[in-house]
Formats: sequence, C-alpha cells, structure tokens
Amino acid sequence: MTDQLASAPSPTTTRKPASGGADRAPARPRRPSKGLKRQNRLVFLIPATAFLLAFSVYPLITLVRMSVSKVNSATLNGDWVFTGLENFRVGFASGETTQALWRTGLFVLVVTVVGMVGGLAAAIALRTTGRWSGIVLAVMVFVWALPPVVNGSVWKFLLGDAGLINTIVLKTGLVDSAIPFLYDQHWALASVAFVNSWSVIPFNALVFRAALMGISPEVFEASALDGANKWQEIRHIMLPAARPTTLVLFVLTVVFAFRSFDLIYVMTYGGPGTATNTLPFLGYLQAFVRYDFGLGSATSVFTVLFVIVLAVVYARSIRREESDS
Amino acid sequence: MKQTAGPVTITIKVLLTLLYGIPLFWILLTSFKSSADVMSTQSSIFFRPVTTAYVEAFNGELFTALGQSVAIALGTTALTMLIAIPAAYGLARTSGYITTIGLGLLIVFQMMPQTANVIPLFQLFGKWSMLDSVLGVVVADTALLAPFAIILLRPFFRGVPPELEEAASIDGSGMLRTFFSIVLPIARNGIFTAGTLVLLMSWGEFLYAVNFFLSPGSYPLSALLSQQVSAFGINWPGLMALAVLTSIPVLIVFSSTYKLLRDGLTVGAVK
Amino acid sequence: MSIQSAGTRRNTPLSMRRLTAAASLAVIGSLALAACGSSGDAAAGSADKITVWHYFSDANQVKVMDDYADMFEKTHDGVTVENVFVPYDQMNSKLISAAGAKTGPDVVVFNGADAGTLALGGALAPMDTQWDAYADKDQFPESVVHSLDGVTYAVQGYVNLLGLWYNADILAEIGVEPPTTIDELESDMAAAKDAGYSGITLSGLPQSQGEWQAFPWLSTEGFTYEAPDAAALEAGLARARGWVEDGYLTQEAVTWDQTVPFQKFAAGGVAFAQNGNWQMGTAASDAKFKYGVVPLPLGDDGQVYLGGEAEGIGSFAKNPDLAWEYLEGTYFSADGQIVAVNNVGSLPSRADAGQDPAVTDNELLKPFAETIVRFGANYPSSVIPAAAVADVQLTMGQTWSAVLGGQKSPADAATSAVATIDGLLKK
Repeated sequence: MTDQLASAPSPTTTRKPASGGADRAPARPRRPSKGLKRQNRLVFLIPATAFLLAFSVYPLITLVRMSVSKVNSATLNGDWVFTGLENFRVGFASGETTQALWRTGLFVLVVTVVGMVGGLAAAIALRTTGRWSGIVLAVMVFVWALPPVVNGSVWKFLLGDAGLINTIVLKTGLVDSAIPFLYDQHWALASVAFVNSWSVIPFNALVFRAALMGISPEVFEASALDGANKWQEIRHIMLPAARPTTLVLFVLTVVFAFRSFDLIYVMTYGGPGTATNTLPFLGYLQAFVRYDFGLGSATSVFTVLFVIVLAVVYARSIRREESDS
Repeated sequence: MKQTAGPVTITIKVLLTLLYGIPLFWILLTSFKSSADVMSTQSSIFFRPVTTAYVEAFNGELFTALGQSVAIALGTTALTMLIAIPAAYGLARTSGYITTIGLGLLIVFQMMPQTANVIPLFQLFGKWSMLDSVLGVVVADTALLAPFAIILLRPFFRGVPPELEEAASIDGSGMLRTFFSIVLPIARNGIFTAGTLVLLMSWGEFLYAVNFFLSPGSYPLSALLSQQVSAFGINWPGLMALAVLTSIPVLIVFSSTYKLLRDGLTVGAVK
Repeated sequence: MSIQSAGTRRNTPLSMRRLTAAASLAVIGSLALAACGSSGDAAAGSADKITVWHYFSDANQVKVMDDYADMFEKTHDGVTVENVFVPYDQMNSKLISAAGAKTGPDVVVFNGADAGTLALGGALAPMDTQWDAYADKDQFPESVVHSLDGVTYAVQGYVNLLGLWYNADILAEIGVEPPTTIDELESDMAAAKDAGYSGITLSGLPQSQGEWQAFPWLSTEGFTYEAPDAAALEAGLARARGWVEDGYLTQEAVTWDQTVPFQKFAAGGVAFAQNGNWQMGTAASDAKFKYGVVPLPLGDDGQVYLGGEAEGIGSFAKNPDLAWEYLEGTYFSADGQIVAVNNVGSLPSRADAGQDPAVTDNELLKPFAETIVRFGANYPSSVIPAAAVADVQLTMGQTWSAVLGGQKSPADAATSAVATIDGLLKK
C-alpha cells in the first residue's frame, strides 16, 4: 500500500483508489513548493516544555536524587545523604530486583502481545457501525474507565474458587478442582498479566479503530471489486492503515505494562509470597510500605532506564519514518 | 458500507461481549446486593435485590463531589489539550535532536511512577499555595496526562498531508492560521479520541486528588470511591454502586463523542 | 532511633513499647483503679475548627467519629470538628509529605504500629506536656502509650486483637466444643471438613496484615523476635501449610486481607475464623447462624498482638491546644471509650472504662479480654527498632504468604526470613 494510505487517520485519504496510489491528490492543485520552514514549528513546543519543566522535570530530578541518597521516613523532610549507587547495590544484592526483573519481562511480554493483538482484533471486529459494535465498544470504554480497584476486585471475584469461572469449569466437569488462578505462583502471574491486558485492550481498540475509520469506504468497495477476501482486506488495507498508530500504541502499551501496579495491588498484593512482585510493585513496597524511599526510587529509576532503551528504539524508528516521508 | 460479518468477526465480537460484559454485569449485580449476600451468592445471579447501596450513595456529598469531578476533569482536559495539541503538532513537523530528545523524555515522564510524583509535587504545591485547590489537582493531572496525550496525538498530525500546509502558506496564510484552519480540522479525529481519553482518565484519577486536597469536602467522586475500601473492610455493594454512578457521566461523554466521531467521518470533507 | 514507652526506657533501650500482663489487666478492668470519668471541659468560646484525619470508612467506625465530633462540639461552643477521611494506604505518606510542606491536621488517628514511622517522619507533635499533666493518665496501661526516645507522641483509646470465631451451628452438628488447644482445633477442623464444611479462614496476604495473623501461630511454636529461631518458625509455618494441604484452609487465603475471610465466615459454611473484635458489627448484620468467640487455642508460649488506632496531635496543628482538649474529651475519656465499645466493639484502654457494663456484660468481648491477659503482646514487638518495623512486617507477611501459597517450602522460607530479620533487628 502506499505511504499516504499508511498515514491514515486522516480523512484526506477518502478519494483514493485502493490499488492505485500513484495520484497523490490533495484537495488543491499542486504548486511548486518552497518547502516548509519546519524548524519554525518548534515554537509549538514552548507551552508544553514550560509546563513539563515545572511539573514533570522537578519530580524526575527528585526521583533520581532519592535513588542515590539515603532517604527514609526520618530523613524525607530533612537532608538526604548522598550514597552513590548503594541503593542499587542493595536491591540487586537482596536478589529482589533480579527476580522482579524476570517477572516484569514475562509480564510485559504477555501484556504487550495480548494487548496489541487483542486491541487490533477488537478494532477490526468493531469497525462496523452496527448496534452490536456500538454497544460492545461502549461497554469496553465504560469498563476501561472504571477505577482499577473496581476492575481488580471484580476479577478477583470472578477468578476466585467460588467465582464464576471456576464454577463453570467445575460444573461442566472440565477440571476436578478449582483452578488456582490467583494463589498459585505461576497462575497468579499469568492471571495478573491477563487482567492487565484485558484492561488495556479497550484503549488500544479505540485508537486502532480511529485509525481504521480513516479508510474510506471506496477503498473497500474497490478491493471488493478486485475480489479481495477478508484476510486480504486486513492485510493490505487495514494493517497498513494502522501502522503509524501501531508504533505509538506499542510504546504506550509497553510503558503501561512496565508501570502497572494497581491491579496487582488489588488482586494479589504481589503474592503468593513474592510471586507477582514486578518492578513497579517492588518499588511501591520499598518506598511506601517499607518507607525506604531511596531503595524504592532506585528500583523506579532502574525501570525507567530499562524503558529508555525502548524510547531510543521509538525515537529511531520515528526518524526512519520521517526520512521515508 | 455493507459488510457481511465472517465467522471470525462474530467469534471475536462474542468473546469481547463476554469478556467485558460479564465483569460489568457482575458490578451491576453486586451493587444491588446486600453486603451479606456478596459472599454467599458469589457466583449466582439469584438473590434478593436491594437498593441500599444507591440510597446511601445519594447524599449531598455525592453532588459536591460530582461538581469537583467535573471541574477537575474539564480543567485537566482543557489544559492538557491546550499544551498537548501544539506540542504534538510541533513534534510531528520537526526533526533533529530536539525532537528526538523530546520524544524520549515524554516516554520517561510516562514511566514515572505516580506514587513517586506525589512527594515532590506536594512540596512544590505547598510552596506555591496550590494545595487544597482544584488548580493544584488539575496541574498535577495535566503533568500526568500531557506526555501521554502528546505521544498519542503526534501520529494524527503526521497524517495531515504537508502539501496542504504548503499550499496554504503559499496562499499567504501564516503558520498559526494554517494550523487552525487546515491542520486542526483534519486531525480532529485524533483530537477527539485523545481528548475523550484524557477526560475519562482525569475523571478516574484519585491518587493526586486524595493527596492534594486536605479537606474531604473537596474530594471528587473518584476519591469518594476510595472511601469504600479501608483496612477494616470493603463495602462491596457501596463500591460497585458508586462505581456505576460515577461512570454514568463517562458513558454520556463517550456516547456523545462516539456519535461526533462517526458523523464527522461521513461528512468527511477537507476544505 | 527507637520508639518506646517512657517507663521501660532504661531496660530496653531499643524497645518500641512494652506491655506487661499486669498493665493489660487494667484494660479488662479487673483492677480497682476507679478514678473518675471524663475530665469536664470548660467551654471554650472561640469560634474555631479542628481537623481530624482518620482512615475509617466502615459505617460503625464513622459513627464513632461523628459522635466524638458531636460530643466535643457540645462542650465547646463555636468549635467545629472536621473529620477528614484519608485512605489507609495514603495516610502515612500523606502525613509525612504534609509535614514536609509544613501543614497537616490537628488530630491524627492512625494505626498504632506506625507510630514510630510517623514520629520519625516528623508528622506528630510531642505530647509530653499534655500527657504528663493529664490527671487520668494512670488509667492507661503503658502498652497503649507510644513514645520514641522517651518522648510521648500518641496514645491509644482502645485495643484491637484477634480471637477464634466459631460457627456454633457447625460445631453442634459435628458434636464438638470450641477448642482450647491447637490439637483440638485441628481435629475439629478435620471433623468439619468431613461434614462438608471449610475448616478456618484467615489472612495470608503478603504484608503486615498477614504478619499480624501469622504471629499467634508462629509464637506458639516458640518463635519470637527477641530471639528469632528458624526451627520454631519452620514448625509454625509447616503447621499452617499442613492446614492448606489437609483442606482445612483454602490456599486462596493468600489473596485475602482480614476483611474477606470474615465475610466468608459470615456467609456460612466455615467452622472457624481467626479474626478481630472489630468484626462484631459484621457478624451481627451478616451471619445467619449462631456464633461465638474463644481465645485462640495457643499454648503457653502463644502471643496475640494488641493493636488498634493511636491518636496524636499533628506537628503542624493549627490548634494544638484544642486538639488536646478534643482527645481528652473523646478518645481518652471514659465516656468516649464507651461510645467506641458500643459502636464497634473495641476494648477500651482505660481501666475504669474496662469495668463498664458495656464491656463486662458483652459475651463476645470476654474472650478477647481473656486473650489480653493470657497472650497479650506488644504490637509491634518491642525489640524491633522503629525504623525496621515496616520491613520486618513485610518480610514476615511475605514469608507467611509464600508458604501458604506453596511458593516456598517452610524450611526454605524460615531460613531466609530469619536471615533477613536478623539483619533488620540490628538496624
């Protein structure tokens, strides 16, 4: 597909034949261009830069400072003694950070794959404007907007021994005893990963859908005339249209997975034992349960560093995308 | 567009209906249970429905909180979009190190644990007399959501064909005018989507609200919700009833923007 | 640094608080320290407001707060009391960050075990002056007075503790009496299981609530924080894991805080629940069967923590004097403590209030009062330094949860827990 189609969610693509793509036809006749003075557009960054400098950079600096200092409840409001990388050393020496890192890796992988594939599948299935699609979409957004304590509690009930799911599988004789969704160490990690994916799918579906809605009906009509089947439509029309959004959603989903802690808090509190202690939850426990703010910040900074790798990949692929266009 | 839904599509739709419908149905059921029935009829739909939880939820506090929620959500959405739209456009139309670093930083901001932000922001707001005010919470929520909104909006602005802007600038339109008359209308799908999401997220945000308001009279709905959960017990029907009540505005917002989005597309023209 | 009660400071320099059985006797009111009731207040005429931060959301507990506000406003013309709910999880960090911004409430009602953390964080004002001058202070056992380095920061108006709730209908059906030893408990649970019921519910959550519930079972095998012994810990953990393996206790308990197991018990079908006196309201409203309470069936070594909320004055209180008067007139007065007995079923900390018919005539409170005498233990243990309390509780909670949930064997869990705790106790 063409680049222009790929750059969907804009309705400009409305007047384009599916197979063609040669005629890039903006609404106005094309004139010789002097090119935009693009860098002028940096002006648009000023408000956000000013705001975020004041209210996001300061907390970030505080977090980094805490991670290299000894900060507990006694010293939080006083002077912070610089301790270098001691907090990081302690985290790794106790084995907590390393174990949490593996769990987080697994967790992020599941949430990202299920969240992305599920989101795209939902967007494609709900692309139509029928009543059913509308209602399902509304329910999904409604549920997505509910606080995690509500969603987490609901799933805790549904996944419990006396919950709906176990009741059904027991009644139908699929299993002999209740599935230990939340209290077996392996099941528990799988369950919290599943519920986190579940909670990100509506968001991904909504954004993917916004991208798909940008494809004009004519494109589908043309492809239908060409005798394209459903799969070909998805592969050649929808996937390319969703591509730019895919990258963004991928980044947002990974970030969501990397920082998600409230559903774990509600559903397992990191348990049984420490089986669902992912990095963000570990950081929470260290800073706000053990009141070792230094140690907790070190865990958070470590997580952020980990994600910076991702940020570099993101920024690089964006530059590649720019050189394409 | 007329399309026949294939078996795969139907399967996905059924699956989604169950996956999201059942939890919602369960929330509704629980909100009509008496607290004694919550545990004893956990997987059953047969119980004696009561509206106690709703009756208890409806008091003066609820409406004060509703007002606070509206103020916070609208304020946050306005402020967030005000700074995120230009920033996303700027980042979509520039390249080079500043852009790359900016995008990287946004992801880092996204990654900051919200709990870790509370302490420094509290100090900051204390110094600037922004504690215990809607403004403080709006600012904190904006700092939380703006990076997200910028990252989300950027591809929508990249979807605006540069040729249109070039044409406009040749016609003598200034940068700002082009932005307002050409770019914004074309990117409105994305703006609506991002705006709706920001509105919904700020509606549900409670950690900042609970920490930066010092008196309960100022708590928004989301903070009232947290009141149903304590170290001494969870009021399940109360929690679920309040969740339903607080989410009704969410549903209204969503269904109206949903229509807007759909209608916007069928009209669909670019000037 | 450490937090400790003033009286025992010299003996235990790193102690948090000390409770002696003799002191706790006062709680149940068997000592005749019959001093007069609440201190009468001269009405202060100033139009003023005090802010009280608390984390109660249960209707009965909120009613206590409202009643206290009424009581105080009646005796103080023009004064208003504003009760501010702060979620339990946010309470400590909000108090400490508020102190950093030089603001905060007049009165704080918080989990007594966190007194050290809050005092270290500078969120509580020293209460020595007021407390030392307080005529009724002898009514209070030392165990409810929270001090750090000899400075008093908060006092508890009541204590909360665990007992063994039983479903009398089930026990009657299987033909047993409430257990008095741990072996009886196990055979009763076996009989209940054979009759198609669950044995017991308790909390196995990997945090302080888990530790609070685990400690009685661990201490009865000889585990203490004074001399942490891996073998004793392993024995306690193995016993509880055995309950899971024998089907008396569902492994699901690792996802339960203290609320859910009691709701499960109240829903019926469970013979026993290890839970607190504060559940009386839930039992009365939700349980559709006959129930009762006995002390946990622990041996001679068994210990049951004495918990509850402590009340202190915020370090940046706008009205510290009025705040003290509020505490004096409500939480610390005999009348005020009876309000809490009647609404929530808490055990008053004053000796005279403990003799009130509201306490002595309450059949459900008796076993709890008996537990205080037989098993009462400082919460947290006095040998744990204030700065390490939260760490120790989390470590033990995670250990308890890991064993109940089968993540670790009792032996492995006990060894690593004792190693960690040894390090923390030296903090």
